[in-house]
Amino acid sequence: MWAYIIRRILATIPVMAIVALFVFSLLYLSPGDPAAVIAGDQATPDDVERIRASLGLDRPYLVRFGAWTWDILRGDLGTSIFTNLPVSTMIQQRIEPTLSLMIVTLILAVTIAIPMGVVAAWKQGTTIDRCVMAFAVLGFSVPVFVVGYVLAYVFALELDWLPVQGYTPISNGFFPWMENLILPAVALGGVYIALIARITRASMLEVLSQDYVRTARAKGAAQPSILFVHALKNAAVPIVTIIGIGFAGLIGGAVVTESVFAIPGLGRLTVDAILRRDYPVIQGVILLFSFAYVLVNLLVDLSYTLFDPRIRY
Amino acid sequence: MSVSDRVGEPKLNQPRAEGDNRQILLEVDNLQTHFRTMDGVNRAVDGVSFHVRSGETLAVVGESGCGKSVTAMSILRLIPEPPGKMAGAIRFQGRDLLKLSDKEMRSIRGNEISMIFQEPMTSLNPVLTIGRQIGETLRLHQGMSKQQAEDRAVEMLRLVGIPEPGRRVREYPHQLSGGMRQRVMIAIALACNPKLLIADEPTTALDVTIQAQILDLMRDLKNTVGAAIVLITHDLGVVAEVAERVVVMYAGRKVEEAPVNELFRNPKHPYTQGLLGSVPKLGSSLTGETTRLVEIPGLVPSLKQKIPGCVFATRCPSVTDLCRAVAPALQEKAPNHIAACHYAPVEASVSGTVAA
Ligand SMILES: Nc1ncnc2c1ncn2[C@@H]1O[C@H](COP(=O)(O)OP(=O)(O)O)[C@@H](O)[C@H]1O
Ligand SMILES: [Mg+2]
Repeated sequence: MWAYIIRRILATIPVMAIVALFVFSLLYLSPGDPAAVIAGDQATPDDVERIRASLGLDRPYLVRFGAWTWDILRGDLGTSIFTNLPVSTMIQQRIEPTLSLMIVTLILAVTIAIPMGVVAAWKQGTTIDRCVMAFAVLGFSVPVFVVGYVLAYVFALELDWLPVQGYTPISNGFFPWMENLILPAVALGGVYIALIARITRASMLEVLSQDYVRTARAKGAAQPSILFVHALKNAAVPIVTIIGIGFAGLIGGAVVTESVFAIPGLGRLTVDAILRRDYPVIQGVILLFSFAYVLVNLLVDLSYTLFDPRIRY
Repeated sequence: MSVSDRVGEPKLNQPRAEGDNRQILLEVDNLQTHFRTMDGVNRAVDGVSFHVRSGETLAVVGESGCGKSVTAMSILRLIPEPPGKMAGAIRFQGRDLLKLSDKEMRSIRGNEISMIFQEPMTSLNPVLTIGRQIGETLRLHQGMSKQQAEDRAVEMLRLVGIPEPGRRVREYPHQLSGGMRQRVMIAIALACNPKLLIADEPTTALDVTIQAQILDLMRDLKNTVGAAIVLITHDLGVVAEVAERVVVMYAGRKVEEAPVNELFRNPKHPYTQGLLGSVPKLGSSLTGETTRLVEIPGLVPSLKQKIPGCVFATRCPSVTDLCRAVAPALQEKAPNHIAACHYAPVEASVSGTVAA
């Protein structure tokens, strides 16, 4: 078991190395000369040359990649060209809202989507099932920012139940924190809920036709126990897989959601950095998001063994 | 209450079982289980009646697709509705199961009536431990604690002859062989000391030596537990060894019913005669040699059309115009022996009494 976990963790190292190389190369794949951009419109060629040297752009490619990787491993993500602050400091300042948004969205999505999918499968072909499926299609087709603006308009502006925008740190109390997150989380979670609910339904439908479900019925088990004890655990592997895969969409969606609700998180930091071509910040944030994605999918892989004893370590 | 009047006295479409005064435990009365399908109604079970007395072993035989499993599943109300639809009555200890609420039905399933299925490889939940699966009925129906249920599960595993029960109880189904899994299914079925055990071809999916072991086990347990058994099987050797009475089904109907010795000695219905083409030697399944039902030429008629005459007319070697036109009623042909055939002779010993 432990050997398996360690093996899985080691297997992520090459993945992260490739991601790092890609993130590093980003600077050279995108249009425009970063040194020229940073120097601004009025700069002389001398100025540009000086900036290029200060960025280390005059050294060979692989040397720079080596130095950059070494810095990252020591926790140094470089310095922002625009603010002159260490990138790691800037990320630290912005990480709490984004992390909060993602966790709340994840919990919300999972607790809504899984029961939805389970009930839809149980009531297959009925009105309840059709409503869930209709919602799932809707969740896919309406963009996050549209949902966000509609929610903000209805619940914040019209009904005045929740704040329109902004973020309150959790250190100011759980409820103020939650108040600010609920609308963004619902907006961001829509697609995710749709995705998880659909997979849950499909996976449950397959499981519910299995012989062991009939056995459970023959034993006198009640419907909730059949659904959530006997069937759901068997249906879990595809569900956690899609939770992991969908996490990538959540990252992209968080950037948009933070803009709609004016949440000062990593999404906003990323957008601002892109607009200013602040490459060290862009690289730092992308690296962090990639790392989070790899980590989540590692956890998903490891969770398989919890659900299915037949999976060998 | 009319129900209690009937206890101990089967209806006319069943033999009068003289000399057997055990209580009637289960009475299936004109059961009709139909399935609505794309191309018409499938009359999987069409007017079947039989009864089982306490502690009795009744065998149900017939070719594949003749409605045996559907009959068994109907008794526990495990037929999905829709597409299924059940009519008639299934009286268990005088109560009509078809009229019970879902909750009442759940308290009977796995408790008073339990079932063993044909497919041991797929009938256990792959992600729950053996102990949990045996313990489930105990916790559900007897309110046992987790610990009590596990202790009892170990006991049950020992009872069904699984070595190292203390270790096995924590294992998962994939760690057991097919024969072991069927033993576990038997342990689950017997955990709550049911009054009736329905075994739907419990050995068909197993290899021959394992089949004999499982049958031995069931016979042993029958004596210890004292439950009545409805044994659905293809294997006439098993019938000869284990059953007291036999119901022969064909195309969703009961075509013959008799005590086991009488049926083997003196089959009345041409279908039964066909099945018995090679009469099994007693004890044959113990020697590992099984006696499957013999192939009868022709196909089972589609259950989606009403058959005007005898259901067996299309395959019967001695069919007449009467058979094609008029369905024969079940009629007492010999003491305790009924069959649905126009031409089966009625023996002198019963010809004086009123037949159904
Ligand atoms: N859920 C179902 N839906 C439709 N038809 C069914 C269903 N279950 C069983 N049947 C039909 O009922 C008939 C009897 O099947 P079954 O009782 O399984 O036969 P067997 O005697 O081999 O156990 C078959 O024609 C089968 O197709
Ligand atoms: Mg069957």
